[in-house]
Amino acid sequence: MAVQERLERLPYGLGRFTPAWYALAGVLLALVALGAYAYLRQLIEGLIVTGLRDLGTMRGAAWGLYITFDIYFVGVSFAGITMAALIRLLNLEALKPVSRMAELLTIIALLLAGLVILPDLGQPLRGIVNLFVYARPQSPFFGTFTLVIAGYLFASLVYFYLDGRRDAALCAQVPSRLQGFHRLWAAGYRDTPAERQRHARTSFWLAIAIVPLLVTAHSTLGFVFGLQVGRPGWFSALQAPGFVVMAGVSGIGLLLVVAAILRRVLRLQEELTPAVFAWLGRLLLLLIVIYLYFTAVELLTSLYAGHHHEVALTRALLVGEYSALYWVSMGSLVLALLLLVGQVALRAYSIPLLVLSGLLVNVAAIGKRYLIVVPSQTHGALLPYGVGWYAPTWVEYSIILGLFALGTFLYALFVKVFPIVEVPAVQGGKR
Amino acid sequence: MARYGMVIDLDRCTGCRACVEACKVENNTPRGSFWMHVFRFEEGEFPNTRVWFMPRPCMHCDNPPCAKVCPVGARYKRDDGLVATDWKRCIGCRYCEVACPYGVNCFNWKSPEKNYYLDWQDPELTARTNGAIPPYKNPDLEGRYGPEQRHVAGGGHLKGVMEKCTFCVHRVEKGLSPACVANCPLFALHFGDLDDPDSNVSRLLREKRSFRLLEELDTQPRVHYVGSGHAPGAEARQIEHVKGRI
Repeated sequence: MAVQERLERLPYGLGRFTPAWYALAGVLLALVALGAYAYLRQLIEGLIVTGLRDLGTMRGAAWGLYITFDIYFVGVSFAGITMAALIRLLNLEALKPVSRMAELLTIIALLLAGLVILPDLGQPLRGIVNLFVYARPQSPFFGTFTLVIAGYLFASLVYFYLDGRRDAALCAQVPSRLQGFHRLWAAGYRDTPAERQRHARTSFWLAIAIVPLLVTAHSTLGFVFGLQVGRPGWFSALQAPGFVVMAGVSGIGLLLVVAAILRRVLRLQEELTPAVFAWLGRLLLLLIVIYLYFTAVELLTSLYAGHHHEVALTRALLVGEYSALYWVSMGSLVLALLLLVGQVALRAYSIPLLVLSGLLVNVAAIGKRYLIVVPSQTHGALLPYGVGWYAPTWVEYSIILGLFALGTFLYALFVKVFPIVEVPAVQGGKR
Repeated sequence: MARYGMVIDLDRCTGCRACVEACKVENNTPRGSFWMHVFRFEEGEFPNTRVWFMPRPCMHCDNPPCAKVCPVGARYKRDDGLVATDWKRCIGCRYCEVACPYGVNCFNWKSPEKNYYLDWQDPELTARTNGAIPPYKNPDLEGRYGPEQRHVAGGGHLKGVMEKCTFCVHRVEKGLSPACVANCPLFALHFGDLDDPDSNVSRLLREKRSFRLLEELDTQPRVHYVGSGHAPGAEARQIEHVKGRI
């Protein structure tokens, strides 16, 4: 039995590359080129071109912007799996329209997270080879590479592929330049009831399998820091759960922003109703509340019971050198919280305000990650070396900007070749 | 198997930093890299002040936080107690550096040719040396050491690789003591087998009060400090501004 539904033309402007799209792609690729140039400089000169320096007598920070954004990118990947799990396990049909855009966000974010590790390595080629050849499970990095990059990304790709097969089969019937690609993706899928059931069952079990991966993968990144006994501010049992929750905050926040942009650009007002945004907003609210609770617990513990290094570090965050960034981050979180609480209390949701909350929490996410990575190195020395200092250079900023541009480009490209929301059922050849 | 350790007599140290210099010459370490550092502290309020000195090599911990976190096993604990860095395996992720509470790791931020105090390509300099090759490559550093036969002696200070105090493994395996110990004019530094009751390190530890740095972290350092001093607390201030520059 063949696919009963028939599309007359590809939906959502697939395959139609407008001048505006080319302009956007041009700008993005120019930024990618800038990042590539910066990385080339770094490969030739060494990491001396970054603002990173040794701890100890050199009084710098050995980890900086690259690690900050690695955590950020992995954090953003939270969105996709969570959506998939909520839809499949809790039968939340309301969230279905954002399912694929969330999955794509996850995949691209994980790709960027893998890429941003490379400029952080002094010997990137050895990194690629030795991490396989001499892998040590005792290192907290091991979990980051296996669970996050390999397991999480692979499971997401499989889920993404299976989830898209029906739409690929539909699109493959429309003659276009993309037909071959759609036919390849569909891979013989015909949307018979048996096939549909098999897919639903596979996706369900896959979603169940991915949920523990979600927690462990984000936790391993927290363990990279939380298991270090010699760094005040890092050594904390709250680090891993904090990473999971902050990942959720930034992931759901960015999904709100992406969904709003796609809604405007692709005219998806019918599919992406305000109810979908309201759902995401409530979920975001819950996660922010948990995160603020964690923050309060951590502050109280370090100020009340921490040894003098811990107190000095906390003081640097609250009133010292890092206070501006600290209060901008916390202020953004609290402002986002207030915006969401107001909307939930009044039961009146506004998409621009929800998007604003999404942007604010991402500012906070980047800020808080920086505040986890850097101050413990510059202000956390246990021997009296004195206070250290770190400021990123243009090379680091350019590489990060280039990666953001690369991610946006890939997203924009995908939206043009594959339906980003599920193609609605059609009957008799009409939509 | 010997169990190597270092004993530093704080009563004897005058803060001359001959050990720092000896380490730099022996290991040809790059600019800004100090595998050995000597803290010069002042304590108290005038007129009750005290100045004291504390050499700080790598602690070669028995429970090394740096070796634990290394994702590729480039940093590892040898059977004789040395914490070694295989510069041919290191990927340069700097995890050991952020994990170490003593701040002893030094990364090679530049390529070795550009990483020294003197510009050996400088025409004025080459005219004075008559084209002689400056001795900034110690051949011993390139070799393989230990039963594992790994590259742990510092090597050519390759760009993008981590390094730190090796306890001069290339000297220790020849039966010599590390360069800092051999060059201390006041015999403040001692090196030897902690398992041998007749070694000078064992004798010093028996005779004098001793402490180790940051013992509360349970890193179990192999460097012991003896004498009337104490571990630097919150009140310890370095006399001068110390900042390695490259």
